[in-house]
Amino acid sequence: MPPIINAEKCNACGVCADICPTDVFHVKKKKTTPAIRYPEECWHCNACVLDCKQEALSLRIPLPLMMLYVEAKK
Amino acid sequence: MIQINKTPMETDVLVVGGGIAGLMAAISAAEQGVDVTVAEKANTKRSGSGATGNDHFLCYIPKIHGKNMDPIIKEVRNSLIGGYHDSPHTVKFLEQSFERVKSWNTWGIAMRPMGDWEFMGHAFPGRPRIWLKYAGHNQKPVLTKQAKKRRVRIVNHLPITDVIVRDGEIVGAIGLSIKNSEPVLQIIRAKSVIVTTGSASRLYPPAGSPGCLFNTAFCPSCTGAGQAMAYRAGAKLVNMEFPNRHAGPKFLARCGKSSWIGIFKDPRGKTIGPFVTQPTRELGDITSDVWNSVFTDLLKSGRGPTYIDCTRTAKEDIDYMIWSLEHEGNTAMLDYMDKEGIDVRKHMVEFMQYEPHLIGRGIEIDLNAESNVKGLFAAGDLTGNFRADIAGAATFGWIAGESAAIRAKKIKKFQKAENSALVKTRRRIYSAIIARESGATWQEANMALQQIMRDYAGVEVRSETLLGAGLKYLNDLKQHILEKLTADNAHSLMRCLEVLDLLENGEAIFHTALERKETRAMHIRSDFPFTNPLLAEKYLTIRKEKNRPIVEWRDKQ
Amino acid sequence: MIATDKNAIKTDVLVIGGGIAGLMAGIHAARQGVGVLVAEKANTKRSGCGATGNDHFMCYIPQVHGKNMEPIIAEYYKSQVGGFSDHALASIFLRQSFGRVQDWQRWGISMRPKGKWDFSGHAFPGRPRIWLKYAGHNQKAVLTRQAKKQKVNIANHLSITDIIARNGKVSGAIALETAGEQPVLRSIHAKSVVIATGCGSRLYPSPTPGWMFNTANCPVCTGSGQAMAYRAGAKLVNMEFPNRHAGPKYFARCGKATWIGLYKDPHGKPVGPFVSKATRALGDITGDIWSDVFTEKFKSGDGPVYIDCSSTSKADLSYMMWGLVQEGNTGMLDYMAAEGIDVRKHAVEFMQYEPFLVGRGIEIDQHAETNIKGLFAAGDPVGNFRADCAGAATFGWIAGQNAAARAKRMAAFQDISDDPHARKRIRLYSGIMQRKTGPDWKEANQALQQIMNDYAGPRGRSETLLQAGLTYLKNLKKKTTETLAAGNAHTLMRSIETLDLIECGEVIFLSARERKETRAKHVRLDYPFTNPLLTDKFLTIRKQNGRVHMHWRDRL
Repeated sequence: MPPIINAEKCNACGVCADICPTDVFHVKKKKTTPAIRYPEECWHCNACVLDCKQEALSLRIPLPLMMLYVEAKK
Repeated sequence: MIQINKTPMETDVLVVGGGIAGLMAAISAAEQGVDVTVAEKANTKRSGSGATGNDHFLCYIPKIHGKNMDPIIKEVRNSLIGGYHDSPHTVKFLEQSFERVKSWNTWGIAMRPMGDWEFMGHAFPGRPRIWLKYAGHNQKPVLTKQAKKRRVRIVNHLPITDVIVRDGEIVGAIGLSIKNSEPVLQIIRAKSVIVTTGSASRLYPPAGSPGCLFNTAFCPSCTGAGQAMAYRAGAKLVNMEFPNRHAGPKFLARCGKSSWIGIFKDPRGKTIGPFVTQPTRELGDITSDVWNSVFTDLLKSGRGPTYIDCTRTAKEDIDYMIWSLEHEGNTAMLDYMDKEGIDVRKHMVEFMQYEPHLIGRGIEIDLNAESNVKGLFAAGDLTGNFRADIAGAATFGWIAGESAAIRAKKIKKFQKAENSALVKTRRRIYSAIIARESGATWQEANMALQQIMRDYAGVEVRSETLLGAGLKYLNDLKQHILEKLTADNAHSLMRCLEVLDLLENGEAIFHTALERKETRAMHIRSDFPFTNPLLAEKYLTIRKEKNRPIVEWRDKQ
Repeated sequence: MIATDKNAIKTDVLVIGGGIAGLMAGIHAARQGVGVLVAEKANTKRSGCGATGNDHFMCYIPQVHGKNMEPIIAEYYKSQVGGFSDHALASIFLRQSFGRVQDWQRWGISMRPKGKWDFSGHAFPGRPRIWLKYAGHNQKAVLTRQAKKQKVNIANHLSITDIIARNGKVSGAIALETAGEQPVLRSIHAKSVVIATGCGSRLYPSPTPGWMFNTANCPVCTGSGQAMAYRAGAKLVNMEFPNRHAGPKYFARCGKATWIGLYKDPHGKPVGPFVSKATRALGDITGDIWSDVFTEKFKSGDGPVYIDCSSTSKADLSYMMWGLVQEGNTGMLDYMAAEGIDVRKHAVEFMQYEPFLVGRGIEIDQHAETNIKGLFAAGDPVGNFRADCAGAATFGWIAGQNAAARAKRMAAFQDISDDPHARKRIRLYSGIMQRKTGPDWKEANQALQQIMNDYAGPRGRSETLLQAGLTYLKNLKKKTTETLAAGNAHTLMRSIETLDLIECGEVIFLSARERKETRAKHVRLDYPFTNPLLTDKFLTIRKQNGRVHMHWRDRL
């Protein structure tokens, strides 16, 4: 369940937590990497991924949200 | 008891919700020279259904469409979003839409990224195209900046929970600060209030993935708060009995189906709709706009599933499609497809119809965007007698800002909203939820509500007995919720209040669905399986008086 | 790698699952003088669908029904359980059923609590009644005690994950100890294995899709027996026919036939034609015969359907409450009392529950043996015979008998070391435990349920839907196998349950695709007729060397 923060790249700026439309993050202490407190409430909108200047965030789309596809018929 | 900030905020115009409509309302009001505050649940830079972008802006451009606006009015009426407009609103919207487009372009949202005005997608062959293709990925940051430039006060992480009315006029609002773990109430004194809280998701179980409450096409934090608080304040809601259903990829719920450039096909490769045989950027495949339930119908008949087939789409149009999807806010989906190896050039992607939600169903507004409660304005997805998605939000947001500012200028003094009885009542309810050591979580309450909505006021079938039973169960649930709901921090309390708001919307849906004794659009009555011509141009409003719902019919304007 | 206990367990007879069927198998095998191990996922005292009791035991009692068994056999086939049983097995069952009733009575489960043999409920007016009313609240405790008395070894919190078979013969099993925080693998040598793992819940979304464990039948019975047997090369049968139970809404419970009332629409009109007053003798059999009624009335808008006990006599109401206690419904009764739900004045809404597997699965012969020598099965995971508790008890008994007989004939245990299938499975489980991040079992279970519901679901199936669903399911299986993560014994156990459910799902898709007609709850939108050529034709499916073999056979 997303998002996933790469702790090595994260500089603890807190932007992801600030802009998340569904308040998924939690900053326990200022200037520390935020925790993902409510992973089930992620909308997978990608705002955090786009707005992180360190490119430290990625999303894992959970299995029940898998996209369904087949090979096209020729 | 929950803490309450002793100092009330004061602002001429309070905007509830910092989405497209809200930010436009704020900018517009500020340009009138009044003091404006936007109270936003999250952060205006990325909140709401416009979060990471949109790529379609419905509008009328005389230079392109010609001086005669009538064909465009007709096109709007027949479009996906035009079914429940009061006509004067349609006209006013179209008249002003281009001004909004030009402003956005000036401010830095690329409204003609290809050079000239391009109308693409959501279109019938041989008919005027009215959806302007734009590059909206940065719309929220741009509008936020414009608001700040005009000294609009943006307060993020402050969802408004109620509007305060005295003697039939707005005097302020109650906000819940979720900045910290501990919730704190903030009273706001305002001369005008504009509610722009967006659509209502999470009312019904997500169609494909009922266990995943936040898998919704529209923002899952938009839970009908505006409709609910307006309703509680005595405002009229309209058209609540008509569910909307969006559609898009399965199971990941996304907006942007018209950004895909392909043809809808069955698994045997046979085209489903009659409109196009070759996918192009101009038209896309409008089958899903016209035959709303196509994806569900084909599952029910066994002919399905339905796929979008982009394999014969020209390379330039594929590039255009991917670019559009980025601007429509679908980068997460594109990243996922990359990782999974889903390649639209060789794979067909299954589409589905999503669960019912409320968009363009809710607060009744006049041409000035005012409700029947003096000083209470509304714009955007939550209005019930007008809908035009982003463009509608932008345009009526602007109108609401103007009207709200004009009213505010006429009022000399702020009222002491903090002394209202409502503040005491609501504070007690919120405190009880926080004080409870153990009990039901908001998730339980939300799911129980969704189950009842799906089964008794759903889209498969409604009837006197089903609606009657459902209303009874809903009331039982409401009792349970008020007695058992528990939250241990500001975030969870916010979610609890969202569920209470959803419940309020649910009630309104039950009452109006019971009253409309016919089948029309997705309001399907098994006991009245015909469409009654007498109700064709009739709108049903609902409002609360002394805590009792009152339904009234009126003519569509 | 997962911790492994190097000491292999050796037992003549291994019984997988300590439910009704498992304990009966264990007891009877032990009586034959062989060593028996019952491996139970939870604790036999309260495990499985029989956990807190049942109150209906289908049987034939000559003293009550008469010497001629024919009318009772006919009644069996008309009942809600008889539709997909081989005739030979039905006859054997009925003939032996009274023996099991008497065993239970002797051991301390009150089979005639009202003095005489009381056949009540699940009954048509004017016809023989075949469901014996009994007081089963203590059945698991009694059977556990009896098993221990017979020197059966009961290993609780020991979950069997795979059967080891070689050259069409069973040789043992792999098990997971789940009592501790971290799982421990065990190898088991066995001369005979009896699968008694119960039904298959959690395959489809529950009535309350966000709560996966709101199921009428035990939610931790997840078709593992069927899946294990299939992996070992055994035939499964009748997998294309979903069952759907019914009962109170939204709280999913068994025991609908214990309620004594009439099913009515909201206007107070009875929905069924059978009775106009509810009595303990008959109840309202509409729910058995027309089990779709709850859904149909919803679809037509005439619903909801309620059970109305307001005209039930005072004596019958007491009987009903007593019956519900025996049936294991004290949780529900406590809730109703706390909520003020009073059946004397309130009508309670009923609903149809989600599809699940009971009486669908492993094919057995008259000795309860599968096509794999030494591999037996009994109870709910059997696909060509079903009779709920009584069926589990009777065929559990038969399985125990024959499993013991075989064990006696075998001189030595087979070698189970270095089994390639076992190694593959162990690698799979280790992978799940090693991953630090990834989807958990809940995600996989929900995704599976979504696919089953939409593509092999109650709304209807078709060639294209089934084909699409199978493709998606295979994709899900791959992702699950490669990325699932679990952190402890409990979540590993749940992960394996989910993998077993996926296996059952695959089999359902393949079988459903093969049966090109509509019959019972197998609805084919593209073949909306019932094909007389396929009446009394059973479809079996098995896997050998990675290839799937499907085969039609006559109902025996």
